[in-house]
Amino acid sequence: MAKIGKTLLKLDNVTMKFGGVTALNGVNLEVKEGEILALIGPNGAGKTTVFNVITGVYKQTSGIVNFDGISLGNQKRYQVTALGVARTFQNIRLWGDMTALENVITATDVHKKSGLVGALFGLPRARREEAENRERAMEILRFIGIDEYSDRLAKNLPYGVQRRLEIARALGTSPKLVLLDEPAAGFNPAEKVELAATIKKVRDAGYTVLLIEHDMSLIMGISDRVVVLDFGTKIADDIPSVVQNDPRVIEAYLGVPADAS
Amino acid sequence: MFSVLIDQFWSLTIAGVALGFIYVLVSLGYTMVYGVLRMINFANSEIFMWGTFGTIVTSRDIFGYTQTSAPATGGKLALVLISQLLMSMAVAGVTAIFVEYVAYRRLRAKGTNRLATLISAIGISIVLSELMRLLTDSRPVGSPRVLEKIILTEVWGANIRLDTVVTIFAAALIYFLLERFVKLSRMGKAIRAVSMNEDAAKLMGVNLNRVITTTFLVGGLATGAAGFFYITVFEYTKFNIGFTMGMAAFTAAVLGGIGNIRGAFFGGLFLGLLEVYASAVLGTQWKAVTVFIVLVLVLLFKPNGLFGEAVQTTRA
Amino acid sequence: MKIRNYWNLRDFGASIWENAGRPMRVAIVLISILLVGLLPFMGGSFLATPIASFDAVLVYPVGMFVLMSLGLNIVVGKSGMLDLGYVAFFAIGAYTMAILGTTTKLNTWEIMPIGIAFAMIAGVLLGIPTLRLRGDYLAIVTLGFGEIVRLVVLNSTWSKGPNGIANIPMPPHFGPLKFELENQRLFFWVVMAMILLTIWMIRRLTVRRPGRAWEAIRQDEDAAELMGVHTLKYKIWSFTLGAAVGGAAGVLYASKNLYIAPEMFTLNVSILILACVVFGGIGNIWGVIIGATILGYLPDRIRFISDARLLVFGLVLVIVMNFRPDGLLPRKKREKAIVKKGANA
Ligand SMILES: Nc1ncnc2c1ncn2[C@@H]1O[C@H](COP(=O)(O)OP(=O)(O)OP(=O)(O)O)[C@@H](O)[C@H]1O
Ligand SMILES: [Mg+2]
Repeated sequence: MAKIGKTLLKLDNVTMKFGGVTALNGVNLEVKEGEILALIGPNGAGKTTVFNVITGVYKQTSGIVNFDGISLGNQKRYQVTALGVARTFQNIRLWGDMTALENVITATDVHKKSGLVGALFGLPRARREEAENRERAMEILRFIGIDEYSDRLAKNLPYGVQRRLEIARALGTSPKLVLLDEPAAGFNPAEKVELAATIKKVRDAGYTVLLIEHDMSLIMGISDRVVVLDFGTKIADDIPSVVQNDPRVIEAYLGVPADAS
Repeated sequence: MFSVLIDQFWSLTIAGVALGFIYVLVSLGYTMVYGVLRMINFANSEIFMWGTFGTIVTSRDIFGYTQTSAPATGGKLALVLISQLLMSMAVAGVTAIFVEYVAYRRLRAKGTNRLATLISAIGISIVLSELMRLLTDSRPVGSPRVLEKIILTEVWGANIRLDTVVTIFAAALIYFLLERFVKLSRMGKAIRAVSMNEDAAKLMGVNLNRVITTTFLVGGLATGAAGFFYITVFEYTKFNIGFTMGMAAFTAAVLGGIGNIRGAFFGGLFLGLLEVYASAVLGTQWKAVTVFIVLVLVLLFKPNGLFGEAVQTTRA
Repeated sequence: MKIRNYWNLRDFGASIWENAGRPMRVAIVLISILLVGLLPFMGGSFLATPIASFDAVLVYPVGMFVLMSLGLNIVVGKSGMLDLGYVAFFAIGAYTMAILGTTTKLNTWEIMPIGIAFAMIAGVLLGIPTLRLRGDYLAIVTLGFGEIVRLVVLNSTWSKGPNGIANIPMPPHFGPLKFELENQRLFFWVVMAMILLTIWMIRRLTVRRPGRAWEAIRQDEDAAELMGVHTLKYKIWSFTLGAAVGGAAGVLYASKNLYIAPEMFTLNVSILILACVVFGGIGNIWGVIIGATILGYLPDRIRFISDARLLVFGLVLVIVMNFRPDGLLPRKKREKAIVKKGANA
């Protein structure tokens, strides 16, 4: 089991407004190296928005996002990825007309140097990098346990495999931090157990994980810490067993004060 | 070079405002469709061109005017002008619905990618202009003069002509009516609901296909009205006039913020004035180039336009 | 291999190719090149064209259309961006040839790289402001750009305005082989060589990183950028390479036609080329080649079409997009990694 280390990602008083809607309201969040941090909250709480702000899809209205000592405010999206943040999407966004392997290889390109000229003339570095990428991508598919699908087009893969391929593709960018947006959505209990094991395995391989998930039992089983959002505000941040019994959290989920029930 | 601009400033300004109002109406065709579909109506320029032919056919073939007949007066004048306007709007409106039906609807139902729709739209606009080219044998078509270009008065050395006055006031009225329609009518509200959030509008029970068809129709009617005013002022049309008009009106729409009706108003007027001034200074052959440069500059520095939505929106 | 594949031209061709060994592949390529290279000698056959001589038709429109369609396909097919002003790059190449050819001592082959460079520079300059925006904007801005280049040429003195530029030199001869107007075989072979070079370039790029980047951008640009693809850079590359091919075609066209004028570079050219790409199959090199060949050749063979050529092409765009968006030969959708083939390409 990986040791939990220094702070990798820090959101400092981040607010995100869409017109009149305040999706995030002064959120503070820290992710430490080597941990699995779960981000939970009712629908529309602003969980995906946290991911979108971190990865540069949206520019926060105010506040600072700091990753590994660098402020992400002025980074372009592809630069954020190059710095070591990768994500999956709540509604799967694979490149459907590419094979599973190609999806991952495309992600591995981010840290490579060769470009158009190398590709055109088949320069040695380009050839070497192509070979490295293919090998690395295959390795990741094996690691996630979907290597048998490597040559299938992403859009033809079974749903569960597509969800896993999203994780594989994110790992393809060799990130320090992986953001998983409801990776178990639509899974049956058996599949969820399997996925929980995979996420643990990912963490144990040295990646830090920030996980959005609705299923409490999955979260309780694997996460080191849980952060709860409600209407864009952080209402809890603690180890799972404490969060689970926090009256504010129960209220947020059930919509009634805990002691009234 | 600039002396022309200074000497004739006021007459240029009046011409610019008249041209500007024509642009306002054509850019409504772009802006409204963009609002609901988030897609450029490539054929709007050809819808306009068909409208101009509707105008000429009315005076020439229905009322029997020729290049040599005397301009109309009194009640007859009003009758002919209004028929021309209605005909132009009807032709353009029908063409717009046809475009939506043939080029957009099927692809939307299938949910194909944007590229396919764009190509289909550009295809239909080529078909419309080529059809007219073959019908008119590539020749320009002059319009018999129905409205005499009387000089009403002179202000600051500028002649105020009847056709310009009619264009400015009637176009402004039509713009105003359309804006009211979108603001106040049930259908107008549905159109705005769809432009703001398609999914939410659908959940609220808006019939998407009807909204889209209506939007094309309304945009087509505005564009058709512009065709009538264009003929009143310039008295000539050709199968290929749509292109320049389309570029200018689209630029006006982007300048004002595409998808935004009020934006089309300001963008259109601005562009009309700019074009007239620029032609006076640089020569008319450069006006299309000026318009294009404005378009690129706007996209480069203010892609959301003056009042508009974000052009670059992405969701994840 | 399933029987059904015999009815699917693309898969049929692909399966032959994949089952062939290296010597077999070399043989297939050489024989194909030889057969196509012999086409100019078929002038007397059923292929003959009524108005223009057959070998002239093979050079223009057929050969040039194929070349330009391949160039446009890099932009439209590979990275999914609609460029409606492709004629601009063709015009830039042609005018570079015309002006340098008539005012300097440079010959066609020396002007070729200059013309390509100018087209590419124009591509970058146009690409930077527009490629950041949504696809529709690129379409309309390029549409405007194509017309603007024509207007500038029409209204400038350096380009001799509407009179155009005459007396453009032919390419110098290759040893005993001389370029001549009556017999355009040599031009055809040059176009063929340029086509082969373009195919080589596209294939090289598509099996490696740039091709993957383009493919990712085409399918889901946001996802591509979030997975670390420098989307703007690759879009500009795609746009610029397309421009380069258009520029090269322009240089050769001017040097073959010996006279150019603004009216040769209207929007219609862009639409014709787009129709070729769409008809054959967006994104599929072989489809594009077949599409361009058919659409280039038919109007010269059948007079009726030649009058209403553009109308027909407009209809092609609408009908193909609505009923067979993949065109004649759909882009590769077989479950076979592009990358794997790249290993031995
Ligand atoms: N691009 C946007 N424009 C306007 N509002 C937005 C946008 N993105 C998110 N929102 C709003 O922000 C709020 C938070 O949305 P978000 O997607 O982050 O929720 P979530 O916690 O991920 O919910 P879910 O569990 O349903 O995925 C919602 O009210 C949503 O409508
Ligand atoms: Mg979410």
